[in-house]
Amino acid sequence: MSICQDLGLNFQQRMGATASQLEKDIGSEQFPPNEHYFGLVNFGNTCYSNSVLQALYFCRPFRDKVLEYKAKNKRTKETLLTCLADLFYSIATQKKKVGSIAPKKFIARLRKEKEEFDNYMQQDAHEFLNFLINHINEIILAERNQSTLKLQKTTGSGESVTCNGTVPQNSEPTWVHEIFQGTLTSETRCLNCETVSSKDEHFFDLQVDVDQNTSITHCLKCFSDTETLCNDNKFKCDNCSSYQEAQKRMRVKKLPLILALHLKRFKYMEQYNRHIKVSHRVVFPLELRLFNTSDDAVNPDRLYDLVAVVVHCGSGPNRGHYISIVKSHGFWLLFDDDMVDKIDASAIEDFYGLTSDIQKSSETGYILFYQSRDASC
Amino acid sequence: MSSMMRKKTQVSFVIRDEEEKRHKNGVSSLQLDPVQGRLYTAGRDGIIRVWHAGNGSQDRYIQSMEHHTDWVNDIVLCCGGKNLISASSDTTVKVWNAPKGFCMSTLRTHKDYVRTLAYAKDKEQVASAGLDRAIFLWDVNTLTALTASNNTVTTSSLVGNKESIYSLAMNPPGTILVSGSTEKVLRVWDPRNCSRLMKLKGHADNVKALVVSRDGTQCVSGSSDGTIKLWSLSQQRCVSTIRVHSEAVWALLATETFSHIISGGRDRLVIITELRNPDNFMIVCEESAPVLKLCFTADQQGVWVSTSDSDIRCWKLPPVNTLNSEMYNQNNYNTNNVYQTQPLHHIPGGRAIKNYTVLNDKRHILTKDTSNNVVLYDVLKASKIEDLGEIDYEEEVKKHFKMVYVPNWFNVDLKTGMLTIHLGQDETDCFSAWVSAKEAGLTTENDQKVNFGALLLQALLEYWNHPNRVNEGGQKVFGNNFFSVPLHTPLIFSEVGGRTLYRLQVGDAGGETEGNILLETVPSWVVDVAIEMAAPKLNKLPFYLLPHSSCQSKQDRQKKDRLVANDFIQCRKVAEHVVEKIIGGGDVNGSGTAKTEENSDAPEEKVELLCCDQVLDPNMDLRTVRHFIWKSNVEFTLHYRIIKQ
Repeated sequence: MSICQDLGLNFQQRMGATASQLEKDIGSEQFPPNEHYFGLVNFGNTCYSNSVLQALYFCRPFRDKVLEYKAKNKRTKETLLTCLADLFYSIATQKKKVGSIAPKKFIARLRKEKEEFDNYMQQDAHEFLNFLINHINEIILAERNQSTLKLQKTTGSGESVTCNGTVPQNSEPTWVHEIFQGTLTSETRCLNCETVSSKDEHFFDLQVDVDQNTSITHCLKCFSDTETLCNDNKFKCDNCSSYQEAQKRMRVKKLPLILALHLKRFKYMEQYNRHIKVSHRVVFPLELRLFNTSDDAVNPDRLYDLVAVVVHCGSGPNRGHYISIVKSHGFWLLFDDDMVDKIDASAIEDFYGLTSDIQKSSETGYILFYQSRDASC
Repeated sequence: MSSMMRKKTQVSFVIRDEEEKRHKNGVSSLQLDPVQGRLYTAGRDGIIRVWHAGNGSQDRYIQSMEHHTDWVNDIVLCCGGKNLISASSDTTVKVWNAPKGFCMSTLRTHKDYVRTLAYAKDKEQVASAGLDRAIFLWDVNTLTALTASNNTVTTSSLVGNKESIYSLAMNPPGTILVSGSTEKVLRVWDPRNCSRLMKLKGHADNVKALVVSRDGTQCVSGSSDGTIKLWSLSQQRCVSTIRVHSEAVWALLATETFSHIISGGRDRLVIITELRNPDNFMIVCEESAPVLKLCFTADQQGVWVSTSDSDIRCWKLPPVNTLNSEMYNQNNYNTNNVYQTQPLHHIPGGRAIKNYTVLNDKRHILTKDTSNNVVLYDVLKASKIEDLGEIDYEEEVKKHFKMVYVPNWFNVDLKTGMLTIHLGQDETDCFSAWVSAKEAGLTTENDQKVNFGALLLQALLEYWNHPNRVNEGGQKVFGNNFFSVPLHTPLIFSEVGGRTLYRLQVGDAGGETEGNILLETVPSWVVDVAIEMAAPKLNKLPFYLLPHSSCQSKQDRQKKDRLVANDFIQCRKVAEHVVEKIIGGGDVNGSGTAKTEENSDAPEEKVELLCCDQVLDPNMDLRTVRHFIWKSNVEFTLHYRIIKQ
């Protein structure tokens, strides 16, 4: 622990110069009021967490809900969510406009919550994001259940609760659901009887394969390409009571408020017996519309704006570095642990990937956060 | 040891009547022999049936042609009605003696379901194709000359298809062959030299039906995109697109002169359309299920229609000069106004089993068929027990619930509409179920333990005169001493989830030829048990036995007995163990053999057993306790409590 604190000090000292540089770059008139750009101190390979936290902080609907949670929950026992809320609150209420902050409490809590993160090794930022979103959601659900129980106790019986809301509390979406959750529908058509059966499943992010010299739109198209179930992988058709060939495709039925796209850049290669980074160049546009929506999609016309990107720098999943680029009040910022720099929108191109496969190390977009334009913020 | 054997071959059998006169499932294909007045129908129950096609309401059934083990997808009648070729999802093509109805040879060249056949009458050539993307061309005269010793066939194959083939057509002189596939294109070959001629694009989905004109210049295709297309092969283009169906087109039949096309498909309608003027069409009839195949009557005035239901109907066709575009304008998709509402002939079909429930005793199965008829079967004896009629299926399943747990030892398959039972050594080990013969109602004598899978295999192979049959006092042991299965029961050996190796009826296993094939086919894990009468391995179940907290001393608390017993032993036996070994009461006269009558008290009167604080019935066996009371596979723990010293 003492080593980390030392490191933190070093970083803080180094920060002084860059902090004022950022203010200069933005310009005092242009600097958005009530906005703070604070780097996060690295506690030894915690950039996977720092990069995701910064991206989430600049997903405004998420930040607002976390701060709202902080305001509503004064004294509760420490959870990863209270630590996150405290961290966001601390950034949002800084006197200075720029600087850096040490997410000490959050990291300590994270290491307690999940064994996999309880070390000083590099982690997968997507695994962290996935854990964080699901974990926060579970905390909210658990707290909601407890308050229901309390309500039942104070009213003396469960009766008044059923009067208040006929729908069981648990089935109601949480604010995490409302922000990140979308619905995929998988349709399977038996090639013999041509009956289509469909199944819906929820997602917090979409995981797409990457191809060389393509775009996100292409990756999403491939994601929804028709797959034929044939040979030894035939489909057991209920209508035919037998195994038949079938065509299967996954399409988006409900588009989330914030669409998180995970580019599957770490591919397991059997010949090396490990995961290899795929640095393919995949263009991600600043504006995105989904074309792989189902016929019965609820909101197929949502237009998305890119708001944050978690970037992986380096050659493999367990090495290298994570940074994030975010959009705030019309300009772009690069967060590299405790350092914050203003960048040109044109610099985003540098994170698309490499057109040649020779170079091993690269700085590539890894998780993209698109926010729906109709999101009120 | 049987466990050392390869676990690749499975043994299957079908529970059915000796003669199944009605189709039990959809009918995929039809062929008429106009000379003999016979209709051949290919069933998804795996059976090809032959019917009188003429007028009159006599019993039309003539005979069944049985040898396929999965859906028969297509048939062609050739050599002037002497031979029939069939294609099946069991991946084989079979050659039949059509009048006598027996299978002459089996072609195993395809590697996946064979979906479709095409026939060039003038050359007696048949082409077969399916989901393995291959097209094979067969000379029928060579096929019918095959014998057991001379069984090699040379075939030409037409390569180039990139996806599964669902339709084929050839013209009678055999100069043109067309294939339709999920690739959505038609591929055209010259079968005389196997050269690729062209690829025709235009359909938006799978092509499931094709016909070629006699001269090979025109072709009509029916697609899952709902359209019928007329193609000029000489101009290599689509001449017209016919949109008369509201859903996928699955069956086509062209008139002799190629002037009209009769079509059917998923919308259950049979429609006749003038090819030169597609506005002239008429709905011939509305069927009860999606149409799979069409075939002319001998006088070409009517059409036989088969569907995914088991009924086959014959409908009168309108005279072609009555079709006009006014019909189109007036009756566009008005299915209340079809040409015929009553069929000329009707061959009623049987019912396909659609649902099944294996009862807790893992011996009886309740099924529900397409008419909601509920039937009770006994898997062990491969027979039907009772037809329960149209009763509430769920209710009946509940009624049969017994708190008894027996491990799974077979798999059920309904693909043919009949009950097919698979016995194997894979995920489901057919030797996993040991039961008491007395409780199974097999004997009233001493309480012998029997293995369901072993008994059944012994009964299924009872007639096989295997050289290694065990001699018992100079006499060979046949069967299992308890019961036999019906002689007509089809017995099938196949690769797990794959190709059929051999099919025969239980009663035919005694034949010399059959015996020799069985010697090559039957896997050793079956021979060990069914012929050499080796006892399958017993299932051991580990558990902890502890004194109950109400009577436990501090010393006892330290002791946690880990025991292992056969999974079928009753709680009474455990109580006996407690009485004899732990508390040391009673007379110990040789373990386990002590008869309860000799003692004043049965063990259950001295000791009671508990699991999860529930007192156990001494008749309940350990695996049932673990399944219904402990509800977990780990750390299975029983407690005992002394009630009487």
